[in-house]
Amino acid sequence: MPILSRADTSVVGRWWWSIDRVMLTALILLVGIGYVLALAATPATNIALSDPRTMVMIKQIVYLAVGAFVMIATSMLDLKQVKLAALGIGIIFLILTAFTLVHGVVIDGGRRWIALPGFTIQPSEFLKPALIIATAWLLAERRRTPGFPGMMAALGLNGLVLLMLLRQPDVGSTALVASTFLVQLFLDGLNVYWVGIAVAGFGAAGFAAFEFIAHVHMRVMLFLHPTKDKAYQAITALSAFGNGGLWGRGPGEGQVKHYLPDARADFVFAVAGEEFGLIVCLGIILIFAVIVLRGLARILRETDLFVALAASGLLVSFGLQAFINMASSLSLIPTKGMTLPFISYGGSAVLAVGLHMGFLLALTRKRNHAERAAERGAGATMQDRVA
Amino acid sequence: MTKAPHPDQMPPHVPRRSGAWNTARNPGAPEQGATPRVEHVRITTPDLARRAALGVLQKRMVFGLVGFLLIYGILAGRLIDVSVINPTRPDAAAIAAELPRTNILLPPPARAEITDRNGVILAVSLPGAALYANPKQIGDPGEVARQIAAVIPALDPGWLESRLADRKRDFVYLDRGLTAEQELAVNQLGIPGVYFEDIEHRHYPEGDLAAHILGGVTPDQRGIAGVEQYFNKTLTADPATPLRLSIDIGAEGIVRQETLQAMTDYDGIGACGIVISARTGRVLAMASLPDYSAGDLGSAPANDRFNRCVSGDYEPGSVFKLMTLSMAINSGMIHYWDRFDTTHPLHVGRFTVTDFEPAHIWMAVPHILEVSSNIGASRIATILGPDIQRAWLKKLGFFGKPPIQLPEAQPAMYHPKSNWKLLTTMTVSFGNGIAMSPLQLISAVVPVVNGGIYYKPSLDDAGPPPAGVRVMSAKASLIMRKMMRNVVVAPNGTGVYARVPGYLVGGKTGTAQVVGPGGRYMKHLNNASFMAAFPMTNPRYVVYVVVLQPHATKKMMPFCHGFTTGGYVAAPAVANIIARIGPMLGIMPRSGDALASAQAALSIPVDPTAPPGRSALGPGHMFPPGASKYAYMLAGEKPPAAIDEAAHDAALARTEMWQPLGATAETISAPSAPIIGGAVSHQTMNVTPPFTHAGG
Repeated sequence: MPILSRADTSVVGRWWWSIDRVMLTALILLVGIGYVLALAATPATNIALSDPRTMVMIKQIVYLAVGAFVMIATSMLDLKQVKLAALGIGIIFLILTAFTLVHGVVIDGGRRWIALPGFTIQPSEFLKPALIIATAWLLAERRRTPGFPGMMAALGLNGLVLLMLLRQPDVGSTALVASTFLVQLFLDGLNVYWVGIAVAGFGAAGFAAFEFIAHVHMRVMLFLHPTKDKAYQAITALSAFGNGGLWGRGPGEGQVKHYLPDARADFVFAVAGEEFGLIVCLGIILIFAVIVLRGLARILRETDLFVALAASGLLVSFGLQAFINMASSLSLIPTKGMTLPFISYGGSAVLAVGLHMGFLLALTRKRNHAERAAERGAGATMQDRVA
Repeated sequence: MTKAPHPDQMPPHVPRRSGAWNTARNPGAPEQGATPRVEHVRITTPDLARRAALGVLQKRMVFGLVGFLLIYGILAGRLIDVSVINPTRPDAAAIAAELPRTNILLPPPARAEITDRNGVILAVSLPGAALYANPKQIGDPGEVARQIAAVIPALDPGWLESRLADRKRDFVYLDRGLTAEQELAVNQLGIPGVYFEDIEHRHYPEGDLAAHILGGVTPDQRGIAGVEQYFNKTLTADPATPLRLSIDIGAEGIVRQETLQAMTDYDGIGACGIVISARTGRVLAMASLPDYSAGDLGSAPANDRFNRCVSGDYEPGSVFKLMTLSMAINSGMIHYWDRFDTTHPLHVGRFTVTDFEPAHIWMAVPHILEVSSNIGASRIATILGPDIQRAWLKKLGFFGKPPIQLPEAQPAMYHPKSNWKLLTTMTVSFGNGIAMSPLQLISAVVPVVNGGIYYKPSLDDAGPPPAGVRVMSAKASLIMRKMMRNVVVAPNGTGVYARVPGYLVGGKTGTAQVVGPGGRYMKHLNNASFMAAFPMTNPRYVVYVVVLQPHATKKMMPFCHGFTTGGYVAAPAVANIIARIGPMLGIMPRSGDALASAQAALSIPVDPTAPPGRSALGPGHMFPPGASKYAYMLAGEKPPAAIDEAAHDAALARTEMWQPLGATAETISAPSAPIIGGAVSHQTMNVTPPFTHAGG
């Protein structure tokens, strides 16, 4: 670990002394676990570059490295740069997400992907953190600048994104984005009455999805009435945990993983359970909990509304996504295709979550008074106390 | 937050105490009596709203904290539940399907096993490999040949190199019998252009035991000798069903060992040992020496491959007197109490027939067998004449091939009818001038001892017991058994060394001259044999050992005194065989009263008198009615003008007796009860074998 002087005023020096190092450590740990599981979830095979399975594994390791790099680079941004970056990324990926509706690659019945040479990306993954930051900005700006139609803009923006996600269709992302937005509104001080209406609306939307979207209906019915034939994936995932037990069967010794569908992505937690056991899985849950709870607790001390809203939105989105993935593997909720951040397979997802948590780290950095004042922009003239 | 917060982090106050938001007081000033001082603190409305919102956010954040704590707690609880408290067991079948297959199923063999009668495997096909090469792909034939020869020493590097250098071909076999170890070693050499072919190997786990019976297969797994050839179609048509032979591999081993012992003791050039069931004609053991390891058929020398038991024709010598005497007694023209002139040698043309130990007496039939009198046998054969003799021999299988399941079986050698006159009749009577395989001889002795039932010799143990054919009267057979027993028990008998305590062995020696390359008998060379059956009360097995061209070796000289006759060379081997296989076959030696009464039932006087009311041949009454003209010629008398054709024809009819029996219990019991009486039933109970061997 480089010894950096507190007096070091370079970008790296200031970054090192202002970053939330506990959260950074937790995130790097997750990347490490993701690396180990990239090996574990890959079918046993010889290391041979001619073997596509080896290539898949190596690609994932490269993505993890790039994702970690993106995260650290992003975390070095200051607030203004965060906003600008989010704005830029948000605009680009909003357009790309819209583009998927026209010219997307269909995978597993969802038109969510854009094919690039040697790489497919899911633009909505990158849109998510940008949307959260933009929403926070709009909501905070509303308070700062009377008459700024922040709420309407936030509603409009989120509504547009949700509509596009539903059209793909990507019910999971829709629910996640909607939940995150709802939490942001709630934290922003939305009237409890409206919160009740929003939750009710959320429930109604869920029921509508169950009623009118065939595969959602099927998944929920399978969750409620699992049978060995139909709920094969869920029961197989559970048997992976059962097979692993307390200490797991050992790295590479997984048996269920060979026939567990989607073991590398949506059910990677089951693979971890089989090979590394309950203790390691509890550790993974603990890391996610530390990241989310510590992050939220720190927001309690935050004086900047934008930062508080953005950081809490990013944390909630991250925490919920992890929960949904793990809860699906554990049959706590109907199976829902959602990746486990940093751990599931997928280049696009790893880069996006790197960006996501990079924003979070940037937002939760300690800022001194001058910075804070500067970050309030025009508020330089505004002083808490005037002698 | 217990510490005093930094002013910037203080929750924005919305002072209510004084009613106005700008009545802040100088911090630290006492409440009472302080000098009030108005401060102007400017906070914009949006800023204030922002601060208010932050306050709400912080309060509401608690829900977020609690909520996440809750859902992650549930997650952890559920994880513990499904991992260790109520673990779901993985689907064993699904896991098994993912595992690499370790039990690679071997293809079923293409050739059935061959077993002995107890199911012991004698021949089995196992998967193996053949090594071949494509010479066009071989870079350096010399180097490759050296490498392969280093791993398979049996291959000659020069031969290998010449094969590998044959660039006109693209397929040459290098070794068609690789062991698994050799296959691995060659594979590890990693020579391009050298390949393996999955083939089958025929293995013969018993090595040289029964090698001649089993025969062998070609590298293509086609039977080329023995039962492998004879049953080739059966073995390949139904590979799942083993071919069960009548051989008992334990008995086979004993017979081979004892025969080999006799052969080496007397430095013979070859030997045969056969044990055949007297009740079914099935061969229990058959060993031809010298032999070879069954798997090495291709490389064994021709002399070793030669199956002397079925392919070699040997003059039987005096053993053949059993044929002559059984024929004579069965014909009714001769009775055991008849006496014949053995007072002087017989001269016919330039030949002289003498006895080994001339007695110069008129000898009765049991005595003739006991001392093996050639003169006596000649007299008897000439009385019956060549017609009856030929009919008898033909009936018992001497004029053809032995009907055994071996392709190597060869026909006997005998004189044509036109040549079969006085001299041939005489010499054949004591086993010269006719040659047959040992198996033919032993299968003709079976009816002589078993009560008169002929069985085709057989190696096949499958199916019902073979049907017998009555070829002679039970009464004649009984007399033959008594006389054979006498050969062994008589103090001067030739077969005294065949005695086995308690087994009631009876038999006959044979010491045949050897026909040399020029068709002449060779001086000082003979084949020594002994034909035995046991127990003579109701024979179970017939045993025959012949040692070819034995020599009186230094080692055996104290025992044989220079003689290489059947009584010295072969009889001890037969005795050893019987003593060793008897208990194995469930035949226990008898002793005490049982032995004495059985022996009493088998005794026959060497110098019998005719029963009351019957006349005996003898001095002054030399020829029975119907005697052939050769008897008169031999006696130097003029034959009567008219031979008694009726008596001759009646004797011929009895000689040609051929009454097939149903394959019923009658066949098995035929030789027993009516012949011996009480002693037999006693014995039958004693000897019931523990095996299920049909008829055994």
